[in-house]
Amino acid sequence: MHINLKQEVRRSDFAVFGIITLVLLLILAVFGPLLTPYEPLKQTSFPFELPSFTHWLGTNHVGQDILSQLIYGARTSLLVGFSVAVLATILSAIIGTSAALIGGLYDKIVMRIVDALIVIPAIIVIILVAAYLKPNLLVLILLLALLGWQGGARTIRAQALSLKEMGHISAARSFGASNLYITFRHILPDLVPILLMGFIYGIRRAIFMEAGLAFLGVADPMTVSWGMMIHEALDFSYLNVWRWWLIPPGVALSLTIISVTGIGHALEGALDPRLRSEANA
Amino acid sequence: MRNVVTYIIAFLLILALNFLLPRMLPGDPLMAIYGNEALIAMTPELEAHLVERFALDQPLWQQFGAYLAALVQGDAGYSYYYNSPVLSVVLGRLPWTLLLVGTALILSTLLGIVLGIESGWRRGTRRDKSLLAGLMAVSGFPDFFLGILLLIGFGMTLGIFPLSGAITPYSGLSGAPLVLDVLHHLFLPATALTLGYLGASYLLTRNTMITVLKNPYMLVARAKGLHDRKIRYRHAGRNALLPVITRTGIQLGRMVTGAIFVEIVFAYPGLGYLTYEALLARDYPILQGVLLIAAVSVLIANFLVDLSYPRLDPRIRYAH
Repeated sequence: MHINLKQEVRRSDFAVFGIITLVLLLILAVFGPLLTPYEPLKQTSFPFELPSFTHWLGTNHVGQDILSQLIYGARTSLLVGFSVAVLATILSAIIGTSAALIGGLYDKIVMRIVDALIVIPAIIVIILVAAYLKPNLLVLILLLALLGWQGGARTIRAQALSLKEMGHISAARSFGASNLYITFRHILPDLVPILLMGFIYGIRRAIFMEAGLAFLGVADPMTVSWGMMIHEALDFSYLNVWRWWLIPPGVALSLTIISVTGIGHALEGALDPRLRSEANA
Repeated sequence: MRNVVTYIIAFLLILALNFLLPRMLPGDPLMAIYGNEALIAMTPELEAHLVERFALDQPLWQQFGAYLAALVQGDAGYSYYYNSPVLSVVLGRLPWTLLLVGTALILSTLLGIVLGIESGWRRGTRRDKSLLAGLMAVSGFPDFFLGILLLIGFGMTLGIFPLSGAITPYSGLSGAPLVLDVLHHLFLPATALTLGYLGASYLLTRNTMITVLKNPYMLVARAKGLHDRKIRYRHAGRNALLPVITRTGIQLGRMVTGAIFVEIVFAYPGLGYLTYEALLARDYPILQGVLLIAAVSVLIANFLVDLSYPRLDPRIRYAH
């Protein structure tokens, strides 16, 4: 697979849109503390204050500034999304390539476990574990990563198996290259596109799951997140505060997921030769 | 046979998780197994009974034995919050989830296939591009946010759909009015879920369609001078169906858990809403029961898909 990813991505409107949005969100997340007028969890004013120049999006039911929460929500979403995706991708790469290269009984046992994990409905397991452990952000990231690598591991193993039989790998082996050397020098570089796809969709899944858990109210109440904002605002949906309290975090969350999906779609189109064509939509 | 072994392993993993989670936590395992509600009702006799029932004074492997023995007899625990056996509470909610998710799954698959075929056929045109962009945007909306938007728009502002529940309580309806009432309540949650699922089945159909269109038999069909629509649906569309149906089958397994968030938004009394109620009440037996039932239905659905697959794709039948 020798594809100029940069060029492919630039040709897709979805990817360009996605990357620009994500970069903007990243800037917002990184410089959040400098940009927010108030501490997101500090009571700064009366509850249910209307949007004004001092509180652009008003205040919530305990008088916290909604705009500050919105900006901090980007930090949580992106932090969870990226770290879970990094961890899960590393896990799936290690397990997928090792199963393919070592083979034998190890491969059989590992793939059985992977198959079983794929069948298990992850969301409800996460809810149950979260209900018991009441995880903080770090535990939540580990939990999502631990339950998010199995699908990727299967794809990576399949790809590594076919790479393993290729000429340049047997050539390397005949020169006495070890499994580790072959993995790092020949197999992993060729797996980069697949790993990238897994990474992108991993981000999407993690952001979605984090928002969902916070929406359920099983996330850490000290972590400001968009899901939690929606959860809290929904209790007051009979007031018209939803206009500036509920809609902004929902739109921000959707925009984040849409931009990640756009990048993923463009990559998918670039990596699948059957989908590539002159009119690359 | 390979799959059956996978299912057994998956089922054992779920059982182990259900068994170990409450027992591994620091603190009183009884509290973790039974949640807050039980402690209020707790008497020394009841406690002694429960300790014996779960073999909590025995080593871990004997506890696991007691747990399995109870399960085999159909005893998945007792909910003190609902004051009835876990299995009957969970199974009582199951039909509503099946109705909601089943409707959404069928609608989104059918709609996704038609839109995907049309879009793939016209790939690169303006209509295809706007459809693609529109559906990608919709599928980026988390289903609970879609639900909230529908609820605020059609339920609260316009007031043409009920805000919560699956039937009008105490209405005493029966027959056709009851069916209409159920459909009326079903409309918004099912729409939210359909929109949430639509993007995936549409994108998959479109991608497959693009691949299928490159086959030589498409040229033959065209050379025969067949009508455009006939080529599109009979020759191309039909061959693009298989992956979509496989995916729907896999989705079928997610049926029970797929609607958690939408059910909560609309207070729709299925398993998802039950999960939420149990979370609020810290009713752990119910949570475990939901996980158990969800896992079993995933396994059953996968098994059915495996069985039906050779019928859908003759190549598999010949390969074995």
